[in-house]
Amino acid sequence: MTAACNGRLKLMPKIIIDNKEVECREGASVLEAALAGGWNVPHYCFHPGLKVVASCRLCLMEMKMPHPKTQELDWAPKLVPSCQTHVREGMEVRFDSDPVKKNVENCMEFFLLNHPLDCPVCDQAGECHLQDYSFEFGRAESRMVDEKWKNPKKDIGPKTLLYQDRCVLCSRCIRFTEEISGTHELTLVNRGSKLEIDVFPGFPLDNPLQGNVVDVCPVGCLLDKDFLFKKRVWSLESTPSVCAGCATGCSIRVDHAERVVHRLKPRYNPKVNDWWMCDEGRFGYKYVHDDKRVTTPTVRRGLEDSTPEWADLPGIIRYRLEENVQANGSEKVAAVLSPFMGCEEAWLLGKFIRDAAPDATLVIGPIPRSGEDQTFPIGATGDDIRFTISQEKCPNRRGIEMVLEAAGGKTLDFEAFVASATAGAFSAAWVVGGYPAEWLDKKLAVKMAAKIELLIVQDIFENPLMGGAAVVLPACAWVEREGSFVNKAGLIQTFERAISPPEGVPQDGAFFFALAGFEGLYTGERVREQMAGKIPAFADAYEAPLKPVHAH
Amino acid sequence: MAWKTINRQESVVDADAPSALSEAVREKIRSFFPRYETKRAVLLPALWIVQNTNGHVSHQAMVEIADLLEIHPSDVLDTLSFYTHFWTHPKGKKVVTVCRSLSCELMGGADVLAEVKKQLGIDEHGTSADGQYSLVTEECLACCDHAPCMIINEKTHKHLRPADVAGILADESNDRLAIPRSDLFDAPLGAVEGSGESASVDRVIGSTSDVDEMRDAD
Repeated sequence: MTAACNGRLKLMPKIIIDNKEVECREGASVLEAALAGGWNVPHYCFHPGLKVVASCRLCLMEMKMPHPKTQELDWAPKLVPSCQTHVREGMEVRFDSDPVKKNVENCMEFFLLNHPLDCPVCDQAGECHLQDYSFEFGRAESRMVDEKWKNPKKDIGPKTLLYQDRCVLCSRCIRFTEEISGTHELTLVNRGSKLEIDVFPGFPLDNPLQGNVVDVCPVGCLLDKDFLFKKRVWSLESTPSVCAGCATGCSIRVDHAERVVHRLKPRYNPKVNDWWMCDEGRFGYKYVHDDKRVTTPTVRRGLEDSTPEWADLPGIIRYRLEENVQANGSEKVAAVLSPFMGCEEAWLLGKFIRDAAPDATLVIGPIPRSGEDQTFPIGATGDDIRFTISQEKCPNRRGIEMVLEAAGGKTLDFEAFVASATAGAFSAAWVVGGYPAEWLDKKLAVKMAAKIELLIVQDIFENPLMGGAAVVLPACAWVEREGSFVNKAGLIQTFERAISPPEGVPQDGAFFFALAGFEGLYTGERVREQMAGKIPAFADAYEAPLKPVHAH
Repeated sequence: MAWKTINRQESVVDADAPSALSEAVREKIRSFFPRYETKRAVLLPALWIVQNTNGHVSHQAMVEIADLLEIHPSDVLDTLSFYTHFWTHPKGKKVVTVCRSLSCELMGGADVLAEVKKQLGIDEHGTSADGQYSLVTEECLACCDHAPCMIINEKTHKHLRPADVAGILADESNDRLAIPRSDLFDAPLGAVEGSGESASVDRVIGSTSDVDEMRDAD
């Protein structure tokens, strides 16, 4: 059988695992082939993103090897690590066999020899591969009669704890700091039965990618101080999403319970972030649950404030905008689209504004930037780069640009908009924020707000424009919305709604959907179908492939 | 032990302390750079040089070595802690290593150990008050045929009896290797290149190893 690969037809090797023929990727290891084929092969030290060390000895299998004398294929007299053995056409391996089972059982017994069995107070319980594997492959009782080796936990960094007695010494975390972050903080000290993971005292684990060592740890040894004792993992729900921290656009998983986000975890995406994400993104969601968020819409006429029902708002806004356009002309209308908006939301708002005022100006909001792109391993260039944190601290500049380009007409950047608005060029404007940090210069904003008669401001937090706004609307954080972001490389990626917005606020997209005159339920997909007519790229958003069920 | 936490964020190195490596030591370490493709490869010679000069490799010395070799201090700790013969804290001028394994134990090793402890007035891992001796035990010294035995620095003392211990410890040259020279295989002293007047028998034996060159340079 052949399959398309790099535009060529390439033969894919076939191997036989437990008498079943499996087709696998050229250059893959036997372990990867078995995992992709659905086998639950236990493994600790193997991680597809890191170098192979074959030290945990859990994935050992029976294999047919060429006999050193006759070169004929024959069963090797001992078990062979499958993570280290590449597939070859016609290879035969056995996983479901007595020697293999015996090996896993014995290995598990050694892994658990000094384990404190403190699952009730361990954060990893529920997603721990010591639990899973000992349940699946281990033996029920330990033969260890001596006292267990006790080892205190170590505070190895500002964000991470190391519980040495739960460690299986797979060295994934060490390889991560060596190969991906390039910072080398973690290391193995001592030897033999006294081997442990440690940092050099006074040189803590503190790099922008350090949170990943918690993800790669297959057991409860490395734990996140931020998530520690916050929630049991089995009460968390996971929603696939895209990180909104920077323009890299890492695929992530939002873990939440009872409308509260508890943690973000990276999701495998070979085109963007592989298996990793940065700490800035990982812990950057906290603003979502800030008390200071705007949660009620306000409409002002003269000196009177009112809080209308959400259902009445589209009518009110439409009426006030039409009134303004009739009085001042449609070229005096502007809309500022924030780079924190999804493409769908930007497109819907742009459509609404252009429908009401065909000559309206569309503006892209300010792009928050900080420093330079950070590449990893630290200082890597070109092909050596394994991970990049973008200097552009917003998720969707490219998407907004695509929407503005498709919309045509008059477009401005934010600086030019501020300049002409303070000069009195606009009588009506819709300004969308959504920035986690302050984003407006107070003096300029007040000056601008005074010149715009009908100012509609939509933001997560209060901003200086709101004082002079005719309509103030709460906005939603990205975990409360669904839609798509376009990362700096131009990849369109969709994100789903993880939690509902506070206090009955509709998600931005649904509100714009009703405002733009669409009927029925808002979904990102429905809007993308509409958008695809104008921007064909949106017909096909990128979805990262799923990892095999038993891979970790 | 999850209820106890070791603080690893706090530095154990005194920032105001004078440098642990003298310029001569640094220069000696640097002189090994041309031998290898990477500076990292000089780590083991560097640890030897520092241990031979200072008697031990302190945490401060580790940080300074790391700085010199352009590697992370954790990499130095990794290598150093793998080898049990590197000391991270001061030890006596001579290290007495007594065997605690089976053959020696059967031949009365425990009595020898007790006598050493009594003579030096220290326990295992201790250092005598005058800074002369440190005492450790090892699993096996590979001298089972001469049990019971102990090693002082690198010299093995065989067939020990508790009565011998006091005499050995009093002997100044109890750590000097005196391996009998073989006329067949060892070149006569004078023929060894670079061995000047100070050449001694033990230097002839291992004159090709890095370790001996480092010792020579002292």
